[in-house]
This record gives sequence, C-alpha cells and structure tokens, in this order.
Amino acid sequence: MFVLFNITKLHLFSILVNMDRKKTIYVFKIIISFLLISFIADKAVYLLFNKISDDVYSGQSIGKLNQYLKTKNDFDFIVFGSSRANHHVNPNKISNNCYNMGVDGTMIAYSHSLITLLPQKKQTILLHIDPSNVFSNSYLGEDIKALKSKYNRNSIVTKNIDQLGQNNIFQKFYWSLGYNKIAIPIIKNFFKPKYDYKEYNGYDPIYVSKSQQKIFEKILNEPKETDCLETFNVNKLYNKLLDDLVMFSKKNNKELIVFSSPIYFDYCERDNIEFEKIMKEKQIRYYDFTNLFQDNNSIEFWRDRTHLSNIGAEVFSDSLALKIL
Amino acid sequence: MLFNSTEFLVLFVSVFILYWILRDHRHQNILLLVSSYIFYAWWDWRFLSLILISSIIDYSIGSKIYSAKTNRRKKNWLLLSLISNLGLLSFFKYYNFFVDSFTELANTFGWQPNDLTLNIILPVGISFYTFQTLSYTIDIYRGQFKPTRNFLSFCTYIALFPQLVAGPIERASNLLPQIERPRKFKKEWFNEGLLQITIGFIRKIVIADTLGVYVDTIYANTGIYNSTSLILATVFYAFQIYFDFSGYSDIAIGTAKLLGFKFNQNFNLPYFSRSLTEFWRKWHMSLSYWLRDYLYISLGGNRKGIKITYRNLMLTMLLGGLWHGSSWNFVIWGGIHGTVLCIEKLLNANSLFTSIRKIKFLGYGITFLIVLFAWIFFRAQTFNSAITAIKQIFSFSFGPPYIGNISIMVNSILVLAIGLLIDFYLKYRDINLEEVGRDYTPYKLSFIISIMVIFICLFYSTSQNFIYFQF
Repeated sequence: MFVLFNITKLHLFSILVNMDRKKTIYVFKIIISFLLISFIADKAVYLLFNKISDDVYSGQSIGKLNQYLKTKNDFDFIVFGSSRANHHVNPNKISNNCYNMGVDGTMIAYSHSLITLLPQKKQTILLHIDPSNVFSNSYLGEDIKALKSKYNRNSIVTKNIDQLGQNNIFQKFYWSLGYNKIAIPIIKNFFKPKYDYKEYNGYDPIYVSKSQQKIFEKILNEPKETDCLETFNVNKLYNKLLDDLVMFSKKNNKELIVFSSPIYFDYCERDNIEFEKIMKEKQIRYYDFTNLFQDNNSIEFWRDRTHLSNIGAEVFSDSLALKIL
Repeated sequence: MLFNSTEFLVLFVSVFILYWILRDHRHQNILLLVSSYIFYAWWDWRFLSLILISSIIDYSIGSKIYSAKTNRRKKNWLLLSLISNLGLLSFFKYYNFFVDSFTELANTFGWQPNDLTLNIILPVGISFYTFQTLSYTIDIYRGQFKPTRNFLSFCTYIALFPQLVAGPIERASNLLPQIERPRKFKKEWFNEGLLQITIGFIRKIVIADTLGVYVDTIYANTGIYNSTSLILATVFYAFQIYFDFSGYSDIAIGTAKLLGFKFNQNFNLPYFSRSLTEFWRKWHMSLSYWLRDYLYISLGGNRKGIKITYRNLMLTMLLGGLWHGSSWNFVIWGGIHGTVLCIEKLLNANSLFTSIRKIKFLGYGITFLIVLFAWIFFRAQTFNSAITAIKQIFSFSFGPPYIGNISIMVNSILVLAIGLLIDFYLKYRDINLEEVGRDYTPYKLSFIISIMVIFICLFYSTSQNFIYFQF
C-alpha cells in the first residue's frame, strides 16, 4: 500500500495545480484507495452473493432463473413471457413435463435470451406476446436487465445484454450491481425457501381476495382512457428478436408457438389483427385468446383488466392446451 | 442534467480537475460559468436566455439601487427588479394556473370565456434562481450588501451549477463574496464534501426512489385503496420527499465544498421537531429563512400588532405554498402550515401548551401528524384526489395494506429503517451531518465511502427526477 501511495512524481503535477504537493497527494491517495478498496469490497460481496444465490431455487428474483438454468434441458414444453404467462398458464394442463418460465415485467428480450440457452433437442416453446407491445416504438429491450445477475457469469447473457445496449457501464467495474434490488430476496430465499423447487412447475396462480375483487369492481366503474394505435409499424427490436427465434427454432429442433392471453375488454382490436398477419408472414403458429371470455366474462375470472385469477387461469390453460396439443 | 447521471459524473470530474489546475479564481469562475450553462442547457438550452436576462436585469438594477441618490429612486429600481423577476416567474409558472382558475370561477357564474391557456414549459429552477436574484437587489436596497462590479461573478453566482436547479437558495451575501475571492483547496472540506455527496446519493437513489415506487402506485388512484394502504403511502411519502430533497441538498452542498464553496445547511433532521415552528427552522431552511427575511419581515413581521402578525404569517405560508407549484393543493398545504403556525403562536403564551410541549414525545408526534396530513395535499395530483385520499383514510377501513411487489416492499422497509436509524443516531449523538468526515484519514474515508458505494450498488432504485425539480 505504502509503495502504491508514495507517488513522488506528483510534485510536477502539483506545481500545475492550485494545491500544494501534500494536498495533491492527499486527493490521489483518497481516489486510489477508494477505487482499490471499493473494487475489492465489490468483488467480495459479488462472490458472496454468487455463492449464496447459486443455492437459491425459489422466488422470482433469482430462484426461478436458477431452476430454469439447471433443468431447462429436461422439459418438453416451456412457457415464456411476462406476468401474464406466469400467472395464466398452468403447465400441468399441457404436459407433465412442462415448465412455466414467465416472469413479471419481462418481455421478448428476456425470453429471447433464455430461449437461446436451450440445447439442440426437440422442445416446444410457448411464447406469450401482448400485440400492443409489438407496435410500441419505445421498446428497447429494457426487460433483459432482469438477467443482470448473470451478466458476468454467462457469456451468452452478457453478449445479449451488451448487444441491446442495456448494460450498466458501471457494472464493468462494480459487479455487485448485478444483485441490485435482489439482495434481500436472495438472502431470504437462501435461509427460508418459498417452496420446494422440485415440486414447482413455475406457475404462480393469483388467488383473489374479496377486498381485491372489490377494488377491481371499483376500477371497472371508473372511465378508462384508451389510446388505440392508428399506424402499425412493428418495433424493430421485436421484429429482429422474433426472426432470431424463428431461426433458432429451425436450427435447434424447436417448435415455436406464440399466444396472446385474455384481457377483460379489448378496446383496441386492430393490433391483434395486424399481429396475426405478421405471425402468418413469419410462419409462426399463433393463437389469440384476447377475447376468450367475451361471452362469459365473470368477475371471478379476473384480478384486474389484464390479469386472470386462478379460476380464470385454469379455464384459459384448458383452452390453450386444447389448441396446441 | 441530473446529479445521478453519468453525464454529470463526467462533467463534474472534468470541471474538478480543470478547476484546480487553473490558478486564478477569475479563470475558475469562467470555467464554472461555462460548465453551469452546459449543465443547464443539457435540459433545454433555450431557457438559458431567461437566466441571462435575469442576470443582466438584476446586475444592472443592483448598481442603480446602490448609486440612487434618493430613497424614492431606490424604491423604484427595486420595484422594477421585483416586477421583472416575479413577472417572468408568474408568466412561466402561474399564467395557465390563474387563467384556469379564472375560467372555472367564470363558469360558476355562467360565463364561458375563450380558452386563453398557453402551451408553456416551466423552466427548471426558475423559482430558485428568481429568489436568489431577488435576495441580491433587496439586500442592496436595504443597505446590507454592496453590488458587485464584476458581471461575470454575478452570472456565476446566479448559475453556479450545484445549486442552480433546486437550491439551496444561496443569498448573494453568502455566495458572491466567495466567488469574488481566491479559493483554497481544504482537506477538511474535501472529506466532508465527498462523504456528503455519497450520503446524498444514498438518501436519493436508495431510500427516496425505493419508497417512491409504492407511493406512486397508491397515489395514482387514491379511491381504490384502503385506509392502511393510504396511511402507509403517506408515511412513505413524508420520508420520500425528505430523503429526496435533503439528498439533493447534500449532493449540492458536497459538490460545492469540493470546489471550495460553503453553502448554508438546508435540512437538519426536520422530523425531530416538537412544533411546526421548529419544523420550519429545520426543513428547507434556505427557503424558510428567505420567506422570513424577504416576505414576512417586509410585510411587517410581528412589529405591527398581533392581528397583523397572524395575517403576515398566513400570507407568507400561502405564498410559500404557491411558490412550490401552480396548484391550489400547494396553497392549501401552505394554508395548513400557516394556520397551525398561528395557533402555535397563540398558544405559546398559554402555560398549558408550554407544559404539553415539555412532554417531548407528544410534541414530536403531534407535529409529525400535522406535517403528514399536509403532505396529502402536496402529493395528490389534484384537489379531488387529495379529498378522496382523506376520505379513504378516515373511512377507517383498516385491513392488510396493498403490498404490490413483495421485494419492493421489503426493500422499502429496509432502506427506510436504515435511513431512520442513521437519523436517530445523528440526533442522539448530536452530530451535524455536514461536519462528518472532517478529520478522517484518507484510508478511513475511502473505506467508509467504499462501503456506502457497495450499499448503493445493491439497493439503488431506478432513478426518478428529484421531486423539487418540478418547482
């Protein structure tokens, strides 16, 4: 340390600077020791969390991802998508060898990255896509950040995050940024797992309480502002990632099936029609369940306008299974 | 440009190095002025012209007031300064508000005037730098300050980037002399500044932004959540705004210290107050003292009898509320504070109240509850939304609160607990945060900052704008 900080050559620099030599050395001492200590502390924290998180197989923060990475090769069917895939598709309705890898707040960039990790083996990929997202021009693949805990640990994930420009430049130096906001859930699930992952198929049904149902009824009574699209240009990233997935599926013996899950009331129908056309063009099997409950829209099927309750999810899963099998 | 952005880091590091390489403080001032304008232009370069106009007007008027031979002339020049500064502020900040209010009033009488609202963007920081420029001319008018002869120094004073967009509102009497004399690098200030900046970041991007996620969810639709959720969201908001703005002030004051400037303290553990009067001595101090010295005292303060004192207090708080934003919610917020301040003044003479105040816990609790209640108006988007929130809270529908994302809730509680523990510790040990780190060795300082940085890495939340930027 002493050698490191004995920066005698700084004399020349301090002449230029409006500080005396001692003060210049002082600033350098602080900067260098800060960079050194924080670098070492960061790596210690990072390695500690790697060690802990590698044994965590429950919870959405990292457990589900770890389970997927460990068992992905064994499944015949895997469901990908956002919370609407996670909470709506019961894999047992499809197959005993099906896993639901839907994660809250994620979209195609996250799913794409996980799908490209799959081996060259016959598997069916069920990908949930909300048509309204496909035509959004603001989507940049931010959801891939949910994989940041694997940023410096999995070369494919690192490459995908970098390619989308969603990397935090500071994460090159501070690796522990990968555990941002998930440190506490990791520790909690390490000491007290939420469930036995060997029994877990990735499906998290939503059980709606009476008070939640009342809240939803209140929301339904409020006027809803809808702003439907008039022009339908496919988001460039969505287009690219969909094409990538088609290619990947052909090369790796996968069947890609895209589906859209029900919503309470579809105010904008044209995006579904336009999306269906695109799916046809790309020769992707697509099932649109947006209006599944149009004729039988019981309040007990719903938690909110876009999320089904466990009861609604069971009905939907049956319908999905019937179509794809 | 936000403090919590990579762009700011690059700008500040470059400025810091160049700044201390330059030997002459006048050259340093040029650097500060240019970098401050870049800092501001990053948001919208067109509004630089407003800062420049304000600077030219008040620099010229300051000299005119000082050289005016008669009091009447001095007064006229001051009036011109007030009209031009408050005119610009009123136009950009309050024009649509007053037009809308007038239209609504006219509608109640059955008259429907044409739509006179304009598509006006509120220039960031206009409320802050307007008050700064006003302090300059008013102090000269009162004979408390001599005008500067250096226009560059004056422009630097108005635009100095650490305090440009959200304060602290630095008075000319404190900052301008510092700009006009050579500055020395001080180890103690460097230590304090670095530590204060890091603490500011923890307060802002770890605590405030994490709490903000829950608050935003609940306050987006106050009508659908139960009492417990609304109370929790309001408590979270009380701490969100405190940690957000005090964090901003810490970063601003710390940054200034690294450049050799000493800003005034802006927050001093305000929730540890036994009365609202004490609260305002600790909350956004640069604003509350500004309002006291330039508005309350100008109105006559407490020198013209008890009734006038109450009127002055109410007016000061109502205008203070309006300063925060062009909405009746802010006026009501100011009105609540003003009313309670008047009641406190009234009861102060009463011995019963004095004895109640001696029970510290009671004083802290009551003050916090009043502040909490007033925050509902401050946070709610509209008057109706605030009323709905209050109705929901007092419907006493206590059930389990809305949790949302469980990990966000756990993180919110954890970071809030850490923030509060630190504040309790500072209060208990009577430590002024602004002086922490002064005598640390380089290694101790580096170690502590490193630990804080790792803490930030693990717990920072997606950054939101600083709340006070909108004012």
